[in-house]
Amino acid sequence: MSDTPPVLTIENYALSYAGPDGPIRILDDINLTIRRGEILGLVGESGSAKSSLANAIMRDPTGKVVHESGRILLSGTDLTALGEKALQKVRGERISMVFQNAATALDPTQTLGDHLIETLAQHRGGSGLRAKTLELLGHVGLPDPETMLSRYPHEVSGGEKQRVLLALALACEPELIVFDEPTSALDATTGARLLDLVRGLQHETGISGLFISHDLGTVAEIADRIAVIYGGRIVEIAEPGPLFARPRHPYTRALLSSLPRPSDSLTGRRLAISHAAPAPRLGMPPPCIYSASCPHHLPELCDAAQVRLQVRDGRQLACVRADAVEQSRSEATEWPAVTVPVDQPLIEVSGMDVVYGRTSLLDRIARRPIRRTRALVDTSLTLRPGETLAIVGESGCGKSTLARALTGLAPYSGTLSLDGTTVDEMDRAYRSDVQIIFQNPDSSLNPRHTIATILLRPLKLFRPELSRRERREEVTKILERVRLPAEYASRFPHQLSGGEKQRIAIARSFAANPKVIICDEITSGLDASVQAAIVRLLRDIQAETGVALIFITHDLGVLRHVAHRVAVMYLGEIVETRDMASLDHPPYHPYTEALMSSSPSIDPDSETTRIRLTGELPTRSEALPGCPFESRCPRRLGEICKTPPPLHDFGNGHRILCHIDARTLAEMPPVWRFSKTIMEPLS
Amino acid sequence: MRKLFAILGALMRNPQGALGLVLFLLLLALVVLGPVLAPADPESFNYGARFAAPSLEFPLGTDWYGRDLLSRVMSGARSTVLLALLATGIGTVAGALIGVLSGYLGGGADEVVMRLNDAVMAIPGLLFALMIIAVLGSSSINAVIAIGIAQTPGMARVARSVTLQVRALDYVSAARARGEPTSWIVLAEILPNTIAPIIVEATIRVAFAVMTLATLSFLGLGAQPPSPEWGLMIAEARSHLFRSPWPIIVPGAAIALVAVTFNLLGDGLRDVLNPRSGGH
Repeated sequence: MSDTPPVLTIENYALSYAGPDGPIRILDDINLTIRRGEILGLVGESGSAKSSLANAIMRDPTGKVVHESGRILLSGTDLTALGEKALQKVRGERISMVFQNAATALDPTQTLGDHLIETLAQHRGGSGLRAKTLELLGHVGLPDPETMLSRYPHEVSGGEKQRVLLALALACEPELIVFDEPTSALDATTGARLLDLVRGLQHETGISGLFISHDLGTVAEIADRIAVIYGGRIVEIAEPGPLFARPRHPYTRALLSSLPRPSDSLTGRRLAISHAAPAPRLGMPPPCIYSASCPHHLPELCDAAQVRLQVRDGRQLACVRADAVEQSRSEATEWPAVTVPVDQPLIEVSGMDVVYGRTSLLDRIARRPIRRTRALVDTSLTLRPGETLAIVGESGCGKSTLARALTGLAPYSGTLSLDGTTVDEMDRAYRSDVQIIFQNPDSSLNPRHTIATILLRPLKLFRPELSRRERREEVTKILERVRLPAEYASRFPHQLSGGEKQRIAIARSFAANPKVIICDEITSGLDASVQAAIVRLLRDIQAETGVALIFITHDLGVLRHVAHRVAVMYLGEIVETRDMASLDHPPYHPYTEALMSSSPSIDPDSETTRIRLTGELPTRSEALPGCPFESRCPRRLGEICKTPPPLHDFGNGHRILCHIDARTLAEMPPVWRFSKTIMEPLS
Repeated sequence: MRKLFAILGALMRNPQGALGLVLFLLLLALVVLGPVLAPADPESFNYGARFAAPSLEFPLGTDWYGRDLLSRVMSGARSTVLLALLATGIGTVAGALIGVLSGYLGGGADEVVMRLNDAVMAIPGLLFALMIIAVLGSSSINAVIAIGIAQTPGMARVARSVTLQVRALDYVSAARARGEPTSWIVLAEILPNTIAPIIVEATIRVAFAVMTLATLSFLGLGAQPPSPEWGLMIAEARSHLFRSPWPIIVPGAAIALVAVTFNLLGDGLRDVLNPRSGGH
């Protein structure tokens, strides 16, 4: 492949935007090439300027450019030298882009067909556009392209919208496609199918692409080579295999060591918590962009000259101390011992139902059918003191509804008991014992309140016995517990980083000394290293206080590091409950199997089975008579699946709701096959 | 108090805010000191210089009785600006509270409050103010109350629509999950986050309040001649428009200046009060 001509060459590219305190360095010393038929992955954490690079290639800067230098060559044409008129021809025809959020990238007032026809007419013209459009829609695996043509974006699912975006990008057979986090907004099973599609198309048509993602696992699935970007500079470029097996740059090493792997349960590997600071953006760039955070930084070596990408052992690396770094052992992070739950129920939920939507008077008069969503169906679960119960499932499975019902935000029917007493109304005592942390700290912390106000509120409500001074002291103590300095009390949320904000949200939840904290996707919006730190913090708090956690997530990797037990939800029902310890072994519920196998990982020691779900998630507007997974199940038995499935009990709290008999379930192949090297010491 | 200075300081660093603040302070000085600083008696006639164009003696010209327009505008600032501010203040506070509460409660309560609100909005503002004056009797302060009430429904709509967006955010859910009382949720969680659009809306309404006050004066229900109230000045000058434009241009420009001042101030405040872009 190395002798094919490059489609995209970026030479010494640098870009600065205007900022309130002088120019902000966005990109610096970028050098890369993408060859014909190659997909280059670009990975970096938030703020690494990976999307700015995409914008620079598309010539669509998001800020006010104060400095730009270097060249961006598309098959020999320097894009930085082109005028707006010429660029319009290049965009869509020679380069196209697939955006993260298909919902906003498509015009809601145009049909999907119009989108495609407009693009084709603009760049291709001529007749037969409709036929070409149909062909494109079929190409991206959309069933029934004919009806798709006349649909509006809101009438199709997120996965289908993303496929239409892909069809738009492919429409003019461009030389290069820029993928900007195309799967990040999708569910695991939908995202996995989209990745399969892109990979298939690449084999078929040989498209070249730049694939940007914050998720190494996703990039590993698709890219021929991976570039790691930090602070606007590329620090390492290598092929996926060598990169994951032997990361060389200290930043890449830190990034990989904070990512969970399926083999972690077997190897006992702990997530590392890197202390990488945000890269410097103002003033003169340091010779090595990572120097401020690098544990191996030696001023006389590292600061001698500008550290640039250099070819070493078949990869490109921007580190002068790579050999010394390789020798060093990363220090093992101490994690608190796993808490042993007390064997008595703390929270017991049985037969819980939540129905959204109510009938309006007008509907009743007109005798219209009642549109209601059954968000939670006959859910039962138990939580023990000191235990972490993970709840996993895709969006719309009812996991957040469960959290809202348990905290009094959604009315429910069924019984709920705390410490053996049935909860009839959510009084102050219950609210004090059961706390919730929301996914997005940007919206869960009031931007107008200082951190002190935010933390004082639960103290005032739930611990009224404290005096004013004691409350102030308590705020300092709480901040200390979430490893934040006391002077943060006078700050506002927007002055904190994403991880720090989530720490404040965590601090607020345990200010009342609760018995249960419900964590609703609290690590989902965070970078891997921050996620590891947050998970570690929860573990610490649990070890200190014995609080029970309900950890809701769609990210399966992190489960192994946080949970004792896991409940898998689909369409409002818990289809499987099991111990984390047995996760590597069947039996699985067919949905659990599909979900686990859709989660991309970068583990050199394991291989994940490939099971893909077809069809779309049905809406739960009326009672489904049978198994909720019936419409998409790859192991569907037949008509029997339309009747309520039995609950198999495999002992040790392992229960599966499925028609398939227990023997067959137990004989399923495992989702992960682990390499011999880590299996041998065990046998 | 320190917070007020912090806001003023941040306002001075914002170009629109700084200009707005300077103009506002000038206006305030005029309100307080206008009658004292006025070069001539605003009500003394000067038959030798009727409809005079601006000159050294009469910097902004004279009206049909030869009264000095500069002095009249300076003396009239107090009644015009102060009353308009008061009226807008009443309308803003009442409207914001109704709108935020209605938006937060939602459901049936929201439906009832908003339909009543719509019914009131359907009556033209001036007519509504006239009805209120008819009940309360005519005086300057009753005119202010009437305009305040007439402005309430529009403000309630703006406040409610912002509230609907804020209500869906997680910090409101978090407060509800904590079992916070409704008063805390409305006053401490939601209201501060709806304040920016409300302030912008309020500053625009100051100019409207000036005009409505003028109209009421014209109809004989507010200030009475020979008071130098700006609206009244325009109303009176109407019949002399073809003799000289100055009696209309001068108070008209003064009203425009008030509108520009408050709009600039509003834009500046919006930026400063937003904790993300502000100077905290």
